[in-house]
Amino acid sequence: MDLDTVKDRAGPREFSPADDLPEEYRKAATRMIEFHANSEIMGAYLERPFIRQAPSIDRKLACSAKVQDEIGHGQLLYRAAESLGVKTREEMLDDLANGDGKFLNCFHYEMTDWVETPMIAFFVDGAAMRRQATLRRTSWEPYAHAMDKVCFEEGFHVKHGEDILRELMSGSKKEQELTQAAFEEWWPRIIQFFGPTDDKSTHHDFAASVGLKQQSNDQLRNAFLDQYIPKARSYGLEIPDEPRIRELDDGTYEVEEGDLDWDEFFTIAKNDYEPGVGQINGRKAAQEAVQWVRDTIESDATAAGGHAPQAAD
Amino acid sequence: MIWEVFRQEKTGQYHTHCGNVHAPDREMAKQFAAIQHGRRKPTNSLWVVPRDEVGEIDAEDVAFGGTTDKAYRWATTYKTTGEDAREVVESEDEQATAERQRGDD
Ligand SMILES: [Fe+2]
Ligand SMILES: [Fe+2]
Repeated sequence: MDLDTVKDRAGPREFSPADDLPEEYRKAATRMIEFHANSEIMGAYLERPFIRQAPSIDRKLACSAKVQDEIGHGQLLYRAAESLGVKTREEMLDDLANGDGKFLNCFHYEMTDWVETPMIAFFVDGAAMRRQATLRRTSWEPYAHAMDKVCFEEGFHVKHGEDILRELMSGSKKEQELTQAAFEEWWPRIIQFFGPTDDKSTHHDFAASVGLKQQSNDQLRNAFLDQYIPKARSYGLEIPDEPRIRELDDGTYEVEEGDLDWDEFFTIAKNDYEPGVGQINGRKAAQEAVQWVRDTIESDATAAGGHAPQAAD
Repeated sequence: MIWEVFRQEKTGQYHTHCGNVHAPDREMAKQFAAIQHGRRKPTNSLWVVPRDEVGEIDAEDVAFGGTTDKAYRWATTYKTTGEDAREVVESEDEQATAERQRGDD
């Protein structure tokens, strides 16, 4: 299939591994899905310490379930990416470990306090879900199918995150202040989740023209602000003065781009941001620490026979 | 030799199991599958898989879950304020359906 045919046919779930697709399509789709897969994994590592730090047994169970889900999302997505025939799962995981794999800006920051958890679980998962819901109509069928399962599970993440926020914002004055402070710290990063404005986005046009991407950065950022500004306010959070956000007459929002730190954003995009490098190396160390488990499984796959494995549910 | 057949009705949908055919090889299996399973129902694509290649694990071998209370894992457990995002509502609905089908409630 040539590129013009791809552009002509580019509808939801239109292309599958049975199709002979041009390299440009396969490379663009690989870049996009690999980024998404890496982000699931790195997000899980960011939240993992909060299984231990959770303030109650219910929160602990939910945090552990969420981290487990996110690792699962990564696995689903590596399969969807691998099926394009450009990179193997092994290569993508190696690239993530050696610092070449790219992932979401928000997961390059450290998260140390419990009050920060809703910034990820509610706002970042909420933002991700806005985007993922549109990707159920992406043109690469295996990606769309992965999104079906991811979206099925994500509702729990967002609502659990919102529940933590509700609890904190109806807690003591100190809890409310700390939560507000965490919100102010994370808010600009959350807005940058959607990347720079459309005219500065490098990959959008092609990805949109072949049906991989369904909505532009600006459309998604708008849809997010539209939904989540009222939510934040309803729990008593105050939207920070910066970045300045103007509500336009047509109900959309305009973010003052100059108020956001794009140097930091693009340093992150190159994997050069110091805390992010720490996260990458942290995951790499964790991977190496359990290498023996993978070795055991791979070298002795049959020895496990005879006793019933416990299915995860 | 038995080949399990999976039918996809439209582009982009899932291939779901719809039956099996007897055939000496993959080529014949595809032909028979097309004749037996691709004719009356809408079909966009068929997969044929040798039955021997299908691994199975069932409810007798393993507990698939649903026996332990894992309410913390369901969106329906958490009460929120105001209107939830469309896709969150959709996810919660899908979960509620799955919960009912599993007979948790
Ligand atoms: Fe996820
Ligand atoms: Fe999530």
